[in-house]
Amino acid sequence: MRQSDVAKMMTMQDHQTAYVQRCTFARSGPAIYLGHLDLMTCFERAARRAQLPILYSQGYNPRPEMVFALPLGVGIETRKDYLDVSLDRPFDEEEFVKSMNTYLPQGIRILKSKAIPEPKDSIMSIVTTASYRFEAPGIRAAMEKALSFESLEVEKMAKGKLKKTDIRPLLISLSQASDGNPDAVDFYCGAGSEKNVRPDLILSSLQVYCGMDKEIAENTRVIRTGLFSGTYPRITPIDEVEVVCRNS
Amino acid sequence: MREFALPLSKADLMRVESPARYVGGEYGAIVKEDMLDELEKEGKTSYLRFAFCFPDIYEIGMSNLALQILYHVLNESPFVACERAFSPWKDMDAILREKKIPLYSMETKTPLSKFDVLGFSLGYEMCYTNVLQMLDLSGIPLLSEERGEDDPVICCGGPVTYNIEPMADFFDVVMMGEGEEMILELCEKIREYKLSKDTDHPITREEMLYNCAQIEGVYVPCFYDVSYSKATGACVKPNREGIPETVTKRIIKDLDTVSYPTNPVVSNMRVVHDRSYLEVFRGCIRGCRFCQAGFIYRPVREKSEPVLCRQGMELEKNTGYDEMGLLSLSTSDYTQFPKLATDLLDTFEGHHTSLSLPSLRLDSFSLDLMEKVQSTRKSGLTFAPEAGTQRLRDVINKNIREENIFSALELAFEGGWSTVKLYFMLGLPTETDEDVLGIADLAKRIEQLYYDVGRRTGQKMRKPEITVSTSLFIPKPFTPFQWEKQDTKEELIRKQRLLKDNLRSRNIRYAWHDFDSSVWEVVLARGDRRLSPVLLEGYKSGLFFDAWDDQFKLPQWMEILEKHGLTVEDFSREYSEEETLSWEHISVGVTKKFLLSERHKAHAETTTPSCREKCSGCGVTCFGVGECFKEKVKGGVSYAAE
Repeated sequence: MRQSDVAKMMTMQDHQTAYVQRCTFARSGPAIYLGHLDLMTCFERAARRAQLPILYSQGYNPRPEMVFALPLGVGIETRKDYLDVSLDRPFDEEEFVKSMNTYLPQGIRILKSKAIPEPKDSIMSIVTTASYRFEAPGIRAAMEKALSFESLEVEKMAKGKLKKTDIRPLLISLSQASDGNPDAVDFYCGAGSEKNVRPDLILSSLQVYCGMDKEIAENTRVIRTGLFSGTYPRITPIDEVEVVCRNS
Repeated sequence: MREFALPLSKADLMRVESPARYVGGEYGAIVKEDMLDELEKEGKTSYLRFAFCFPDIYEIGMSNLALQILYHVLNESPFVACERAFSPWKDMDAILREKKIPLYSMETKTPLSKFDVLGFSLGYEMCYTNVLQMLDLSGIPLLSEERGEDDPVICCGGPVTYNIEPMADFFDVVMMGEGEEMILELCEKIREYKLSKDTDHPITREEMLYNCAQIEGVYVPCFYDVSYSKATGACVKPNREGIPETVTKRIIKDLDTVSYPTNPVVSNMRVVHDRSYLEVFRGCIRGCRFCQAGFIYRPVREKSEPVLCRQGMELEKNTGYDEMGLLSLSTSDYTQFPKLATDLLDTFEGHHTSLSLPSLRLDSFSLDLMEKVQSTRKSGLTFAPEAGTQRLRDVINKNIREENIFSALELAFEGGWSTVKLYFMLGLPTETDEDVLGIADLAKRIEQLYYDVGRRTGQKMRKPEITVSTSLFIPKPFTPFQWEKQDTKEELIRKQRLLKDNLRSRNIRYAWHDFDSSVWEVVLARGDRRLSPVLLEGYKSGLFFDAWDDQFKLPQWMEILEKHGLTVEDFSREYSEEETLSWEHISVGVTKKFLLSERHKAHAETTTPSCREKCSGCGVTCFGVGECFKEKVKGGVSYAAE
């Protein structure tokens, strides 16, 4: 078939109904050093090894239909992250989790999965808030101090240039989870397509504003503990968000 | 699989480029639990611990088929536990040195000095200094003679080991040829040595090396002495009884039954060749006279088609890769290539798996096939005429004729292809300016053909993209050109300018290879033991990652070479047919007599037919298998475009 015919056929193809598995996954250990693109490839390859009936995108370079709620940067652990995997048929949730986990590399695990109708809103678009835990000596005091500032200006690379940005408005609040432990702190911050803050920028603000030692900041264990939808304090974990079906 | 603590802090890892290179945890990585249990309970293990070392960065090593094959062969053995290690890039190298953290294995993060054997895979000469880097970072003495009973045995294998003399001072044991069987025989001897240490009659390191030297294909450099003379060359001879005068390479006789990894380690991060590999056959039926691979991998041995289909199916399922490469020196020469390609594409139907087909001969079948496998954009077509005139192509025995290139390109242009890459070599024996200008002429006539096809067919033609690439000829051991001189850098630069000045067209791009590294490569390729101290000094002054153009520093190497009383000319000169070559104590099966006759035929501009058409008596019938014993095909195969 000639190239132009392939293109024609592809545009003519009707939309196929997707049966979506909304997965909750975790990563730790060596896998935390993977970049987001590599992490995506790991999921794709595991699904292919498991011979799951994944749907592929249309077009010249078909990719498995997998959508991550929020990219996961290098060096970040996660206890609860989410991705939607589109399949071409209904699939048992437990079976799905079991198959994927058999074929995922060390440190990446699917914790649970929920079969949902094809969502109207992409999983990426509903994320507004993330919760993180930082673990490092004296981190709680540093973080408390940071929240007492009106603004926290840090430099970040944007389009090849260093740019100043104020991350204070994106730090929402500390949470109760790790109270009493001076070397751990849990907090909520903005996440998603609208207002996102990267944990490494928070750590650089702790160095600039709270005198945190560089080595300690760089060695801080960063754990994403959840992703939410809604407006703080009325937020819902992504896996509990009610899904509006695409066709309704 | 258990998780092993990294010896590096998070801050260290976050400071380097691509930290995923240093953490392991890949799907398919193997850890022997029994061995860990033994280690935990008794503090030692009866397993032979083998570190498979690749002297370049992770992304390159993980794309290497030898690594995947031998990793599995070793781990399939009930008494060997093999792990992987790679050269850390300079950023990580600095951290390891500064913090005094020894280089560690990917699987269990064990310092390499704790292994019984370090086995280096050597694919190119320019990685030699990285061997020294890996040993040094492990705290293992660099020189073989300085290593004692408690140090690991340092061995190597791979295509460049046929002339390992420049590295002879550093390796204890060298494996010549294909390793699947030999490496296990070697492991047995070394394990005997290891286990005897706890008995009343421990085997000494020297005895162990002597035992290893008894294995066919194994070369133990310290049991050989070299004498140098201007007139007779560098002569390498055994220095004791019981050591073979000539070490002959090993081959695998039956590729259908030898272990092949259909469950390789799948890297988590993007690597250079991010796909699975199906090895189709070994050897090459053609005898291009400059090509070392074409001679050292003889004889041609094919896997049968059903075996390949099965392995292809398993590979696709086990790895999850969406691309599979068919690997060989010239894939179109596989006797059942059309059937294999069709069967594999049928198997992958609906899986979104593509076939990558390097080194294809262009004909209507392969063009059709490329349409099928390249469901995405049409990528370029690649030809390797290697030389610009028919005369010079006859000299190098590149049996591709201009008519073949043009008829294939006509088909391709009609089919809508517009990107063509052409590979040539500069500095080939007997090359004149006419040959150099022939390259430009050929490129221009291809450009003309493109527009002619458009005019004839009335098709709307895009702007064509024609790339001319030149690499530099390097005379390699075990080829008919092993005696030839290499052009000086000045001469090569002149020829390259001449070509560039004559390649002016909007549609033609010219890309050329770095000159400096070619100058050094010939020194290492034809070098002898006098280079070991040179390499050592170079490494100690901070020279490694020579295979990376931006790291390679020719002026510094020149200085060190001179200091040791040597010159580039010593190795780039024309060698006399009478002198003994420093690699003559090694045999790849192809006789010196044959190489000489091929050299003479080259200078007489006479070609030699492929092995499939007619046996030319190169000598590899000594292995008793392969193409040599098959019925010859009249007319044979027409030409070899890639």
